[in-house]
Amino acid sequence: MNEKIKALWQHFRDWVEGNGPRPENEVVPPEPPPALPFTLRPQTHRTRFHELTIRERYEQWLEQHGLHLFSSLYAGLSVLTCALLVTLLLVIVADLPPFGDPANPAHNEVIQRYVERGGHETGARNIVAGMILDYRAFDTFGESAVLFTAAVSVLMLLRASGRTRAEDAALPGLILDSAQPLRGPPEMRLHTCRRDDSILRGVASLSIPAILLLGCAVVANGHLSPGGGFSGGAILSTALILCANAYGFDRVHAFFPERTFVVSSSGALLAYAAAKGYAFFTGANHIASGIPAGTVGDILSGGLILPLNICVGLVVAGTLYGFYALFSEGEI
Amino acid sequence: MTGLAIAALLILSGLFVLGVATLGIFRFSTMLNRIHVAAKCDTLGALLVLAGLMVLAGWSVLSLKLLLAIVFLWLSNPVASHLVARAEVRTCRNLEELCDFLELDGDGELVPLAPEELRSEEKGER
Repeated sequence: MNEKIKALWQHFRDWVEGNGPRPENEVVPPEPPPALPFTLRPQTHRTRFHELTIRERYEQWLEQHGLHLFSSLYAGLSVLTCALLVTLLLVIVADLPPFGDPANPAHNEVIQRYVERGGHETGARNIVAGMILDYRAFDTFGESAVLFTAAVSVLMLLRASGRTRAEDAALPGLILDSAQPLRGPPEMRLHTCRRDDSILRGVASLSIPAILLLGCAVVANGHLSPGGGFSGGAILSTALILCANAYGFDRVHAFFPERTFVVSSSGALLAYAAAKGYAFFTGANHIASGIPAGTVGDILSGGLILPLNICVGLVVAGTLYGFYALFSEGEI
Repeated sequence: MTGLAIAALLILSGLFVLGVATLGIFRFSTMLNRIHVAAKCDTLGALLVLAGLMVLAGWSVLSLKLLLAIVFLWLSNPVASHLVARAEVRTCRNLEELCDFLELDGDGELVPLAPEELRSEEKGER
């Protein structure tokens, strides 16, 4: 009986994994690794009667014995490191206070104040929005700045340079093999694929307006309901990316060119910095800021939270779409 | 009670379809076969599970939201699978060895299509 079940299980596994008799033409010979598109310049400074320096002797020793030593040490050290880490973490977990105990150190006056007076002090019904954009707005400013910096770095790294191949070949340290193109055959590149899929276009024309509306609603209701600048900006950038895929990047460039990207992202970040700098200045000096908190629950309430949400949403939407455009096209 | 039974039936059949899809993804060997299984069964399985949840929720705003989720999934899931399959047709190097190409001729009959014709059709300039 037991062997019967085992045989059945083996049969089932073979069926799932496709281990039956295979057709002969399925065996594909392994392709040779592609040659590097450049060759490094050979070193020429070595003379014939060259005494070995300590560094060269070290490198020779590495070549002869180092790999063996490394592979034997590696297994032992990795097991030791993992065991040590697991023990440490388990000891810490055992030392944690019980979950949900009111006497826990996390339940202090900070959380009490957020829950009891957050609505009055920030004007936001969504306590989380009140925390991240009012009590801790400086932290959120840093997060937006990180996103902006990431976008700028990717822009610097991935932007198509506009150099010709001759100019590339003249760069120091790199000898281009002129027979091999750097980026593969043109029909394999993503951005030369036609973006005219009629099925995608139909669905995109239906869903892009809905996605844009939802993104705007999530951004504008950030102080009333779950959501806010980060999630709403991600939704907005989804609509932009979908539009670029369905209709091509030219269509997106018509209403979101690079200039708009630069102005909206940096402008939103600067507006955030200016608004929050004003609030910090007045707050630290005990001056009334003059920004009305409004009625809790209204769309125009929460003081600075709504404009700050809009700023964060603009930065996030621009950054995510910019990443996609740069990785796919090399330009925004 | 009847509603609970109907909901349980719908959700369990949805789970069955999703399980079959998971099995099929491991069972089939080529990418186009796998996307076939994944797309069809995901669409149907999600519909059945969400319909069961709608029966559980009754006539409410929650049901309306679930209905919107079904509409969005039925719009997006087939299109995404279509695009993945199309990308595979465009970029797979040994597609001619893996499958046959058929074409509808004027009489509604399926006739073989020369692979070169498909390639030139798919990989044309923008």
